[in-house]
Amino acid sequence: MKPFGYVAAQDSEHAVALLAEYGKGAKLLAGGTDLLADLKLTPHPPPAVMVDISRCADLKGIAITEAGLRIGAMVTHSEIVNSPLIRDTLPALAEAALSIGAVQTRNLGSIAGNLVTCVPSMDSGPTLLALEASVTILGPSGRRTIGLADLFVGPRKTSLAFGEILVEIVIPKRNVGKPTGFQKFGLRKGQALALVNAAASFWAGEGLFTEPTIALGAVAPTVIRAPKAEAYLAGRPVTEDAMAEAGRIAATEAKPITDFRATADYRRDLVAVLVKRALLAAHGRATPNRKDIAS
Amino acid sequence: MNVTITVNGEVRSASVPPETTLLVLLREHFLLTGAKTGCDVGDCGACTVIVDGKAVNACLMLAGQADGRTVTTIEGLATREGLHPLQKVFEETGALQCGFCGPGVIMSSKALLDEIPNPTTAEIRNALAGNLCRCTGYQKMIEGVHEAAEMLQSTTTPATLATKTPATPALAALPQR
Repeated sequence: MKPFGYVAAQDSEHAVALLAEYGKGAKLLAGGTDLLADLKLTPHPPPAVMVDISRCADLKGIAITEAGLRIGAMVTHSEIVNSPLIRDTLPALAEAALSIGAVQTRNLGSIAGNLVTCVPSMDSGPTLLALEASVTILGPSGRRTIGLADLFVGPRKTSLAFGEILVEIVIPKRNVGKPTGFQKFGLRKGQALALVNAAASFWAGEGLFTEPTIALGAVAPTVIRAPKAEAYLAGRPVTEDAMAEAGRIAATEAKPITDFRATADYRRDLVAVLVKRALLAAHGRATPNRKDIAS
Repeated sequence: MNVTITVNGEVRSASVPPETTLLVLLREHFLLTGAKTGCDVGDCGACTVIVDGKAVNACLMLAGQADGRTVTTIEGLATREGLHPLQKVFEETGALQCGFCGPGVIMSSKALLDEIPNPTTAEIRNALAGNLCRCTGYQKMIEGVHEAAEMLQSTTTPATLATKTPATPALAALPQR
């Protein structure tokens, strides 16, 4: 790699101060699994200073707080896979984390890194979007909280302003324990990017789709929701036919591209299949009174 | 910058440029060339080492990020008494052919067995998904890890067994790690 400077931030406040101090020449280093590989491959000059936040204690931890399920920005994918709290309340999040890369990259890569890198095929995105997660951002002018959807702007582009860092992801309390399914289709089982990924979440109170949400990855410039498919499901009896129809509607909402991995038509077909499977997986997790336990 | 790590039980320091990866630190400064430079971008797993109990790609970690941590490389497995069971089994059963991927595969397997002493085939496959081998077809590696697990368990005394944390049965549906 071409030479660059390195400084380890003590905590998130320190990281923000360091970014302000070094200005445009600074770059945040989280798990490094994308950034360091990019630096080795790119012809562009490296940042002047790498601000390492991977060991900031205040950016770690998975816990239930007043607001909901809080996942620190620097929590690794492996920590999510192995978290008893996540496996118990939202196993789809653990499934999504387990589908990322391989053990070695999951042990280094962080959830916030996956979100902030903002590639459309990110595997952390769909479940978090379906669960209406918000993200807390810390910058020179303090903290702000935005919906995850508002973080995503385009491929490799987020709404983070320069000098801001993502500090935590929060799944609102009302959705902790909500039955959720995640599906991914790649060309291999290991270390494959998603051709399409999808997540679906709903309560099945009185046998009706209640608060259904559907999110899709790798079929638009960012991870997106499928509002028409959601509206179709809302209030309808929970049946497999309805799930299949929601999949077909979601396929019309996707705007995939054709590239060397797959054609747009193939990806649209995958959306229909994966949305149905994600809904089925969520239904398998739906248990009576679960919402009462969660709230 | 100065970096100090505990590598294979020995505290070692070096003064390196900040862009130095853990892999370069190990290979070029500590002359531990067991971890291999393969793709150098985290795809092949030939550089796999264990940092604080976790298998990682040494090519994707800066030396500075490893400062103060405990690192085990393939050189740390064999003892005066002989090879580690994984090394022994891999050698005897032909689980390696050209051998370039071997140190990475063995370190991934070691990290797995440290966490799950008696893994299922699915857990072994999951643990080795980040280690590319173009010779063997993986089958003998997977059998080898099963065999090494048995060897390690049969040599484990009841006293050391008691200190091991059992896998949580309630969470068995999802593979660990």
